[in-house]
Amino acid sequence: MRFLIIISAVFCYGFVDSKKIRGISSSYKRFYRERKSFLCIDGSKIIPFEQVNDDYCDCEDGSDEPGTSACPRGRFYCTNLGFRPHYIPSSRVNDGICDCCDASDEYNSHAHCQNTCWNLGQRERAYVEGQMRTLDEGLRLKQQLIEEGVLLWREKQAQLRELQQVAEDLQIKLEEHRRRKHEADRLKEQTLKALEAADSGLRHQNSTVTSIFELLDSNKDSSITVDELQAKVALIHDEERVLSEDEAVALLGGGRQMDLTKFRHTLWDILTKGDSVKIKDTHGAPGSLVGEDLHLEAADRAAKWEATNLKKVEEAYDTVNMEISDLRKKLAIDYGTDWEFLFLNSQCYKLKVYEYTYTLCPFNQVTQKNTAGTEVSLGKWGMWAGTPKNQYSQMVYENGEPCWQGGSRSATVTLTCGTETALRSVKEPSKCQYIMDFQTPVACQPVLKQRGIHSEL
Amino acid sequence: MAPVLLLWLAVCLSGTWAVDRGNFKTCDQSAFCKRQRALKPGESPYRALLETMELTNTRLTLQLINDNNKVRLLLELYRLQGNITRVKINELKPLKPRYEVPDVLIREPPTEPLSLLSQDENGVVLSLGAESQRVIVSARPFRLDIMEGREVLMSLNSRGLLAFEHLRMRKDTQADPEAEKKEEADPANQAEAAKEEEEKVEDVMWEETFKSHSDSKPNGPSAVSLDFSLPGVEHVYGIPEHADTLRLKTTDNGDPYRLYNLDVFQYELYNPMALYGAVPVMLAHNAQRTTGIFWLNAAETWVDISSNTAGKTVFGKMLDYVQGSSETPQTDVRWISESGIIDVFIMLGPTPNDVFSQYASLTGTQSFPPLASLGYHQCRWNYNDQEDVQSVDAGFDEHDIPYDFIWLDIEHTDGKRYFTWDPHKFATPKEMLQGLMDKKRKMVAIVDPHIKVDSNYKIHNEIRSRGFYIKNKDGGDYEGWCWPGSAGYPDFTRADMRAWWASMFAYDQYEGSMENLYTWNDMNEPSVFNGPEVTMHKDAMHGAWEHRDVHNLYGFYVQMATAEGLIQRSGGVERPFVLTRAFFAGSQRFGAVWTGDNAAEWDHLKISIPMCLSLGLVGISFCGADVGGFFKSPSTELLVRWYQTGAYQPFFRAHAHLDTPRREPWLFGPENTALIREAVRQRYTFMPYWYQQFYLAHRTGQPVMRPLWVEYPQDPATFALDDEFLIGRDLLVHPVTEEGARGVTAYLPGKDEVWFDIHTFQKHNGAQNLYIPVTMSSIPVFQRGGSIIPRKMRVRRSSSCMEHDPYTLYVALNPQRTAEGELYIDDGHTFNYEKKEFIHRRLSFANNVLSSVNLAPDAQFTTGSWIERIVILGASKPSKVTLKAADGQESQIEFEFDASMSVLTLRKPGMNSGADWTVTLQ
Repeated sequence: MRFLIIISAVFCYGFVDSKKIRGISSSYKRFYRERKSFLCIDGSKIIPFEQVNDDYCDCEDGSDEPGTSACPRGRFYCTNLGFRPHYIPSSRVNDGICDCCDASDEYNSHAHCQNTCWNLGQRERAYVEGQMRTLDEGLRLKQQLIEEGVLLWREKQAQLRELQQVAEDLQIKLEEHRRRKHEADRLKEQTLKALEAADSGLRHQNSTVTSIFELLDSNKDSSITVDELQAKVALIHDEERVLSEDEAVALLGGGRQMDLTKFRHTLWDILTKGDSVKIKDTHGAPGSLVGEDLHLEAADRAAKWEATNLKKVEEAYDTVNMEISDLRKKLAIDYGTDWEFLFLNSQCYKLKVYEYTYTLCPFNQVTQKNTAGTEVSLGKWGMWAGTPKNQYSQMVYENGEPCWQGGSRSATVTLTCGTETALRSVKEPSKCQYIMDFQTPVACQPVLKQRGIHSEL
Repeated sequence: MAPVLLLWLAVCLSGTWAVDRGNFKTCDQSAFCKRQRALKPGESPYRALLETMELTNTRLTLQLINDNNKVRLLLELYRLQGNITRVKINELKPLKPRYEVPDVLIREPPTEPLSLLSQDENGVVLSLGAESQRVIVSARPFRLDIMEGREVLMSLNSRGLLAFEHLRMRKDTQADPEAEKKEEADPANQAEAAKEEEEKVEDVMWEETFKSHSDSKPNGPSAVSLDFSLPGVEHVYGIPEHADTLRLKTTDNGDPYRLYNLDVFQYELYNPMALYGAVPVMLAHNAQRTTGIFWLNAAETWVDISSNTAGKTVFGKMLDYVQGSSETPQTDVRWISESGIIDVFIMLGPTPNDVFSQYASLTGTQSFPPLASLGYHQCRWNYNDQEDVQSVDAGFDEHDIPYDFIWLDIEHTDGKRYFTWDPHKFATPKEMLQGLMDKKRKMVAIVDPHIKVDSNYKIHNEIRSRGFYIKNKDGGDYEGWCWPGSAGYPDFTRADMRAWWASMFAYDQYEGSMENLYTWNDMNEPSVFNGPEVTMHKDAMHGAWEHRDVHNLYGFYVQMATAEGLIQRSGGVERPFVLTRAFFAGSQRFGAVWTGDNAAEWDHLKISIPMCLSLGLVGISFCGADVGGFFKSPSTELLVRWYQTGAYQPFFRAHAHLDTPRREPWLFGPENTALIREAVRQRYTFMPYWYQQFYLAHRTGQPVMRPLWVEYPQDPATFALDDEFLIGRDLLVHPVTEEGARGVTAYLPGKDEVWFDIHTFQKHNGAQNLYIPVTMSSIPVFQRGGSIIPRKMRVRRSSSCMEHDPYTLYVALNPQRTAEGELYIDDGHTFNYEKKEFIHRRLSFANNVLSSVNLAPDAQFTTGSWIERIVILGASKPSKVTLKAADGQESQIEFEFDASMSVLTLRKPGMNSGADWTVTLQ
């Protein structure tokens, strides 16, 4: 007896199951328990149960026709055993196109649909496995790149500090040179003022030639010798060094001595030009009429000298500061939470598509080069523009070369997980708006892995 | 397609956003127009020589003489079947034949007997058949008056503007003694020689230049002109294509309307400039009668319109009325063509539908399009490659928006060589087409008539070796600049050329083509970037004829040959679908037209209505405008409104310029995607009605998209309406075409009629201006009380997917509680309907009985489609509803009644759509 009950229970269960409602998932079965009437799921209407799936839409929400195409807002559940179950709009039921891989949507059409779920499932599983492997490998590589990124980050920080140190040193030097230049300038001014107070040009010059000759002629024998020259004259750019004998001879016009007349036409000219040699310690004899003119020249030379030096230091200082600012700018870019994108900074990636070669230099620019070699900018680094969930999934490069119809070229780069870092595809869906697929391990996200496991299969 | 080469553009237009009017001639810059327009109304120099009259059973001939130069013309007058009078005027003895337009008339029009009623030295009176209609031929000066009873319907040459520039020898080349001898022998010519001395010899008669282009005019002046007076007429329509109001304006203060097929870059609205197509047909209407004038001439043509009431204010008119002013309103029309002959068909109506069938009897009706081509078309210049096509296709599925056709513009070809595919971007076209076919969708690829001059291009080599190219004036192949660079233009006026062209569409010739690939003919004005007015030199040669003579026919022939190709490739089984930009009278026989390169502006959306209405009036029903606007980028609001408008226009295609951002329907946020989806879905629910309307248009020549006055010819309030329109008789559409609109005011016609809002089923009385508040989702559409419209409410991926779906009948009752409609069903794509394979039923509701009776008992077709629902608007609640099937079986039908809107819904009556049945409400 008990046995019989069990059998009949099994039988009944089987019976109920055989009248299963087409087009619903198991979680919706509770709405379709066979009774006399059916309540539309939105509660809007009660209809006789025979009107469920009778190919006429009674419920606003389409819930009475889950298995037919009668309701405009309905949906049909593909069980797709062996693959992924999913919903399709009711309008795809019996439309002659196979939508469910288990062919359940075309139960009354001319379409000859095969059940392809198992194959699809296998392909899907293989694909997912492949994706998983890629993801695992990608994540491993990403870890490395993160580590590298951290090192690189430190390196860059160190570089920055170094540069900052150099800048500080230069700053000190710069101040010193500024002071010196200031001093030289002041001297020059003083000399100039003194000179302005002096006598007329001609007499001044005559007496000056004579007085300089006398100054050089230490032994007052009306002739300048090599020794005398070596004692009193020095090279402008190397004041400390004593002139060599050959140099002295050359200055004396090839001889070993020189009288006033010869002096007036040779060495005097060289000295007054003031670009190669000068009288030693000329400003050591202030007030002396002899030295005034020479003083001015020397002061002027000194001021120029200091200015040149200052400029050099200033340039060096500017260069360093520029480097610092560049580096700071680079470091200010968001390279991801772990600096994992930092390594891309100095890299460029190329891809040839039809007649164009595209180059993506991350965080810098995107360019396009045609076969003729003309290069066009498609945009300069703009910003991260991914989803709120993962802002690092997309980059935007903006303000490229202007377009014919106004606006400028721009490129949107989508980052996807892969084991290599490479530019995978470039498209131009609208004129001057480029879309790139850029694959790199650092785009691999562990969350993806979890999601993959749960919902993909 | 943009009309002009970018480079050329950049140079010539440097980024401006309007037509460069300087590229196109004004009447003053067109020598013959200027010459002809300088003639003022007055005494005509033409006199009818009554003694030369010959009257046979079907034809009257009569010589006319120009008393100024003694040149004689031959007038032929025919009475044609269906209340049409044909008047033909040619030179009696032209120096050489003048061009008479072939291939536009579907046959030599059958004549009816003419009889002489009376005759004296002043003229002749002829009877035009039974209806007390007469033609009075007055001799001095010559004029024709067409009368009905005591009423003048139309007068020809009443203003004395008949002008016929006879062919003549050029003075400085008249050395040929043979010719001189001939002239001596002919007294008329002798006199002419004398007279001609007096005529001002104008240089421009034998050569004229426009900008840098020179027209050699070897035949000299050859223009023809004639005036028509329309007493009692204040409204004239037609002569497309112009971007202007439905009701034509008077042209006294500006240029005449111009008919000269031109590729106009960024055309301006509300002016008479010529556009891509030309149909020289004008309709004249008043509350008593509709008539039409068909001026069969394919040369450049200008049409002047003046009216004695044009300047008058409403108050002025009222004053006339009160004071009993004797002056009846009158419209005067004058046609001027550059060459050819005068061959004019006067269609005497009297109703609008009579004029439509009269015109259809001459040039044929709208081709019956494949059902799918009435669905939604997704186009863009350009979908870049196969992957792009695939992803757009997938986008429609993802967003659950139906579409039937995806289009490829010029970039799909291998270097603008038509009939080829870009080897990289479209490497496997058949795979792509198969992918679409698997979804029951189709594709259109562009095939333009300019052929790249390239000795490695098969099409070019064949055309050149067969001598099929149009020749330049020196006898070499004419070459112009177009998309591919240097290009030749096949001479489509040649039947052998057209046959060869058609054969190129065979599957084994057009590589990569499949049965779901259809064709788009663009640039067939023809567009020649470096030609005068961006078209062909008028002295180019089509065999013996100049391009001048045939210009407006070129696009007509291109589409004719292409459509023939699509028919032939299927062995004559499948209906073709070919879209053309250029057209002429008769182009309706070959497919669809669109209004060319419009812009994403609200005014362009508005103008799409009068532009398509004007085309419909002259037979071309399958008309549409680029949804969204071709140039520039529409605001989201404009795009949505354009979809809503386009969904209720015959040819429903979105298109966009290469330089605009993407605008597939799902790119503007979920809300707008939903709005566009809903508009497109509404289109698909009405597919049975659209199809039925096209069947009707194909059978009768009645326009599918109609101005209100066509159905309400006695209601002057409808005469100038062009912000709303009818589809067939039963749907009235007033799309929202104003930015930021919060409401529209629709005129609902019909004093004793009611109209039902198709969305809310609210009933409104006719003969009122109804203010309708609108939101972004509103598309004000009304179903006429007294009509039955079959719809399919299961909107699927494409129209083919809906083939076997059941129907819902919307029965809208009039105040007499009756309604009528039709249901037409066939296979949707073959010519088998010509073999009577279709279902055509009359649905009628009267005395509480709805019945379906067979309108074509000799036709046979079976359908799986059934009637799933009957919605009766304006009904009262029955106690029971009984269905009686063909076999006499009776059954009760469940129903629901919505008392607030008086809507009765019959649940699942279930009978087959092809069966006889009655449903009785008790």
